[in-house]
Amino acid sequence: MKVSFPYMGTTVVYKKLLELLGHEVIMPPKPSQRTINLGVKYSPEFACFPLKVIMGSYMEAVEKGTEVIVTSGGHGPCRAGFYERVHSRILEEEDYNVEFIVFDSMFRDYKKFLQNVLRIKGDSSWYKVGKSLMLVYDMIKKLDVLEKEVQKTRAYEFKKGETTRAWEKIQNLFDRAYTKKAMEEAFEDGKELLSQIKQVPIAENKKVKIGIVGEIYVVMEASINMKLEEVLGSLGVEVERSQYLTQWINYNALPKFMNHSHETEILSKGERYIPIEIGGHAKQTVGHIVDFSERGFDGVVHLMPFGCLPELVSQSIVPKITADLGIPVLTLSIDEQTGTTNNLTRIEAFLDLIKGKRVRKIS
Amino acid sequence: MKIGIPQSLLYTYYYPFWKTYFEELGIEVVTTPATTKSIIDKGVKASVPEICVPIKVYIGHVITLLEQNVDYVFVPRFVSIKKGQYFCPKFMGLPDMIRHSMEGVEEKLIMPFINTKSDNIADAFKNNIFGDKFPLNHKQNKRAIEKAEKIWLEFREYSKKGYSIIEASAIALGKASKEAFQSLNQKKIDVTIGLLGYVYNIYDPFISMDILSKLREMGVKVKTFEMLEEEDFNRQLKTMPKTLFWTFSDKLLAAGYHFYNDEEVDGLIHVTAFGCGPDSLLGKLLELDASIYKKPFMTVRVDEHSGENHLQTRIEAFVDMIKRKKLKVQRGA
Repeated sequence: MKVSFPYMGTTVVYKKLLELLGHEVIMPPKPSQRTINLGVKYSPEFACFPLKVIMGSYMEAVEKGTEVIVTSGGHGPCRAGFYERVHSRILEEEDYNVEFIVFDSMFRDYKKFLQNVLRIKGDSSWYKVGKSLMLVYDMIKKLDVLEKEVQKTRAYEFKKGETTRAWEKIQNLFDRAYTKKAMEEAFEDGKELLSQIKQVPIAENKKVKIGIVGEIYVVMEASINMKLEEVLGSLGVEVERSQYLTQWINYNALPKFMNHSHETEILSKGERYIPIEIGGHAKQTVGHIVDFSERGFDGVVHLMPFGCLPELVSQSIVPKITADLGIPVLTLSIDEQTGTTNNLTRIEAFLDLIKGKRVRKIS
Repeated sequence: MKIGIPQSLLYTYYYPFWKTYFEELGIEVVTTPATTKSIIDKGVKASVPEICVPIKVYIGHVITLLEQNVDYVFVPRFVSIKKGQYFCPKFMGLPDMIRHSMEGVEEKLIMPFINTKSDNIADAFKNNIFGDKFPLNHKQNKRAIEKAEKIWLEFREYSKKGYSIIEASAIALGKASKEAFQSLNQKKIDVTIGLLGYVYNIYDPFISMDILSKLREMGVKVKTFEMLEEEDFNRQLKTMPKTLFWTFSDKLLAAGYHFYNDEEVDGLIHVTAFGCGPDSLLGKLLELDASIYKKPFMTVRVDEHSGENHLQTRIEAFVDMIKRKKLKVQRGA
């Protein structure tokens, strides 16, 4: 069957897994203005931005011949858990013929989960499934290591844009690798590529580090957050995101009692401000701001889709955290009205403030 | 001791319970007046701009109470009132938003977790909700809960008979007799409308501009979700592959489908607040299905910039359209 999936972040990963299981994968096109326009046209007006973008990218994927869309479900309280219902209803209404396979948490509806797994498994043996999963997990880990390196290197590159190009090349290398050995090679080649990038030497105490926190989709998907990481990198700033796929998988795949991942540690840091999980990534956002501040970052950019329910709660709390810990936070709310210049100005001003704060500290 | 309850959000749905409970414990209950322009303005100033109107209104009410010298303000944290379902994230984080955005209010807030199995929230009060803020006698507490629960259940019964929440609340609390509200048994009713919306939108005269009374004045019989029985919801929800995980949104969606299937109901009006997340999804689903059930569906979106005349015009036109449609059917055209 011809399979597709929602577009988010390093998509080679999902593609690889489905390919290894013997499916024909239709890559959803990278979200473009057309994707957004399509999504906005058919989605409910006040739905959050990720829903609209994914709506558009599904439509484009179906136009390219997708028969089945594989996606994850959820059980709230954030709206993301209900996306699939709305998406499939709208696609049906607009005569897009496509079937959904939704992975809800297996602890909720075990039978359905198993059924879905069997469908995705297809004719491959369980041994193959296990092996593919391990391989892909390994690949994600490697890609995350490289991406963190990219985010550091980009800030000090001599020739603008060189790192971004290298990163694309690396993703291509991984895309072509289908065995453990080939992955290993791609990893080494990737490291090599990055180390070859000529860097401007900057004194350690002059380096500026910024953390990016917020809702997972707008944080991970560069094409809708105005390529924030690249923008910050080109302004000479090292960045680190709150979300990486490895963390997400570690946190979500393990049952609660043995879950000691990085994510749980972050959550406990947010406890002071939001005592319970209120859905989405609100508590993580708050926890990550505390974490970044403890690790000596200079500032945090907080991204949220317009009208995101949980992030609005964290946005309300941000001023208090800044007052408590003294870490500057810039909240950017993202939707289809892409005012790139406006946001760029705000980011530049934010960086100026951070640099000014430093000078003041020294003098 | 004086405790303040903001007249906003789930106030209308739980007021009979809260009032009885606190008064049985010998605590004086102070409530804010119905929302006014000045209350909402206070809320708008103190909250993040993107958040929905009901939350802004709520924060406005809290500020109003703090200005009135009450000892404590009651800001419950609604987490869940049904297994596997939650409240909108904004409800779950509401006390956090308030305590972190205003200086020094934290010790003035009473913030019990409401995490129960059904919308009868009595269980949440079994443990001391006051902390060391009030000397609570276990026996007295138990008696207060029992009485509050009884009154609240009575209030729900009146709601299900077709009284609006305000009327039901007045009857249950013994402030008015049943006969005072005759609007139910009007002589001639030609149009029945299913009015969908959360209690804090529909019954807030400022947010919804009292749409319910406006409809009734036009001789329209109004049905709302809280007038339905639990079985009505369950019957609708059973047929859906996946239900919404916000209890009240889930009820609204089920009520919507119930109204679609209910022969008596001629059309649906969905009142929603600007920027309401759950409504954006359930409204779209109901809107798409309106054509299947062949019933008119209208969305009224409200926010703090309210224009009363536009609402009047829209609902009049909507009701006229339904009347004309019915007339045509009668004539056999």
